[in-house]
Amino acid sequence: MAHVVLKDLVKTYGGFKAVNNVSLTVNDGEFVALVGPSGCGKTTTLNLVAGLIPITSGDIVIGDRVVNDLDPKDRDIAMVFQNYALYPQKSVYKNLAFPLQMRKLPRDEIDKKVKDAARVLDMTHLLERKPRELSGGQQQRVALGRALVRDPAVFLMDEPLSNLDAKLRVQMRSEIKRFHQDLKATIIYVTHDQLEAVTMADKMAVMNGGFLQQYDSPAQVFAHPMNMFVASFIGSPAMSLIPLQASTANGNTVLTSAEGWTLELSPRNARKVAEATTKKVVLGARHSTIKLHKSAVPGSVPAKAYTVEPTGDVTFVQAFLSGAIVNVSVPPTIAVAPDEQIWLEFDQERMHLFDGETEMALKAD
Amino acid sequence: MSTIAETAPRGQTRRRMRVDGWRWGGRIFLVFMLLYTALPMIWMLLTSIKSGFAAMQFPPQWWPDEPTLASYQKLLDPQNSVGQDFLRFFWNSLFVSTATTILSVIVAVPAAYAFSRFRFPGRNFLFFAVLLRNMFPAVIFLVPLFILMRMLGLVNTHGSLILTYLTFGLPLAIWLLKGFYDNIPVQLEQAARIDGATRFQAFILIVMPLSTPGIIATAIYSFIGAWNEYIYAYTFLSKNEQLTLPVGIQRFFSENTTDFPGLMAASFMMSVPVVVLFLVLQRYFVRALTEGAVKH
Repeated sequence: MAHVVLKDLVKTYGGFKAVNNVSLTVNDGEFVALVGPSGCGKTTTLNLVAGLIPITSGDIVIGDRVVNDLDPKDRDIAMVFQNYALYPQKSVYKNLAFPLQMRKLPRDEIDKKVKDAARVLDMTHLLERKPRELSGGQQQRVALGRALVRDPAVFLMDEPLSNLDAKLRVQMRSEIKRFHQDLKATIIYVTHDQLEAVTMADKMAVMNGGFLQQYDSPAQVFAHPMNMFVASFIGSPAMSLIPLQASTANGNTVLTSAEGWTLELSPRNARKVAEATTKKVVLGARHSTIKLHKSAVPGSVPAKAYTVEPTGDVTFVQAFLSGAIVNVSVPPTIAVAPDEQIWLEFDQERMHLFDGETEMALKAD
Repeated sequence: MSTIAETAPRGQTRRRMRVDGWRWGGRIFLVFMLLYTALPMIWMLLTSIKSGFAAMQFPPQWWPDEPTLASYQKLLDPQNSVGQDFLRFFWNSLFVSTATTILSVIVAVPAAYAFSRFRFPGRNFLFFAVLLRNMFPAVIFLVPLFILMRMLGLVNTHGSLILTYLTFGLPLAIWLLKGFYDNIPVQLEQAARIDGATRFQAFILIVMPLSTPGIIATAIYSFIGAWNEYIYAYTFLSKNEQLTLPVGIQRFFSENTTDFPGLMAASFMMSVPVVVLFLVLQRYFVRALTEGAVKH
């Protein structure tokens, strides 16, 4: 196992920068998820680490070697692909044996390793089958086995679960997590599904437009998103972002809506707003931090219910507030009708404030 | 109630009958097509086992009164001059066609792979240049190619034919194979390269076996093209001992005008290698032509 360092990694296609000065360190044994919307550069980054495409500039270090110009085969990595990329003409056994044969291991050692891997992944009975005779979940497992059998320094996984149906995906998710815990493997895992990233990874690297937006533990990213993109991308339903105007009078800072209502900020939040470069401030709040009232209470603001989605445990209400859509979760015992007048109360301790121009999170200190 | 019970099955039968009408129409059409292609071949076979006299009779003998293999014996007998010529033509054709096939596979496989996988300057231009050749009838190139071959000193050599057939066969071979490589997911090669293979090994060990049907289809195609070609062989070769079968048979029998059984026997034997090739490899050929129709 080994650590991986990306330093100022750049990949351009013609004039298009697919990966833009990405720097991050994956520690030995860490599970890092690269997450972002499609086209954000996460898969390109992974392919750069794998050596499948040449880098434009920057450095990639695996273990203690700079691997910039090494062939994929010399980087001591294994990769699991979205479509599994099992060799269709080879049996499962030969699929697993291929990486070992390429490394010219003696036959009996290959046999032992293949059988060990098959036992670990509980697929000894499948060894003689061809990939097309396997179910999606089994193919997935063979792909994992082919990566595992070689004991590489780093595992790279490119959306390995996105071809599976929902139920199997949840099951394989915990299997991969278990796999990571048992092997203490260094894993770089690409996904567009923020839920996968949050549930599995030790750290997540949120990417957008070729830039690394934030790199931290899922809890940190969730609690302290660096900017509006990360705030809206991580968490489901998405964090609500409400554009407002800040003003200060008599030592009190208030946010004013275009709809006319005002919201007085706590001293700590007022200090944050003071850091803003502009009067335009965006208020961010997660669904669970907003209280819904049926009548006006001090500190609440008026909104109009739009849709009501009961899920059983909790009911999600979407409401219009100052031109934005706000997600609120309420207990199923509270009945809200669409188009009903409601009042929302924000938790001052857990609200997020963003600079309306730079879209960066405002900090108190 | 009873009316519903009665009408429902009747509606069903009517629908089935309409389907049957179409199906029978299709069957009759297929039978017609079969007769259309098979009858001339059957007539060829029947004539080849008649005597020279019986072949000229009118009304024709539908089934020869005295079937004989004399024509075949004559053609395959290396002792007499007819047999010598025929066997030499056969050998010439086999040599030219096989050489064309091998060379076209050797060139087409890497070319198609490059067109499919790599982005290089001039890629599109080259690809359409490859196709441009096929937009013109072959005869247009007869004189220019003849002049070229004379300059190269290749007139009256089999090399001139092999080169010419390559220029005709390669474009299609490259097209066919490129489609094949396009359908092989690039991740397979990437996986192989990560698993420890070089780019070349990934190609040889993973991609080549998967494209075998395509390569076989390409090979059959160029073999048949070369085997049947007439006009270039007729123009480029003048020495009797170099002739290929199509030209050889034609020349040879215009000297012995009325030997129809001999002509038919020779034609039949000329079609044997192609038919055998097809029967042995048709499994791959069909797979190659349908590959890519459905995503696996």
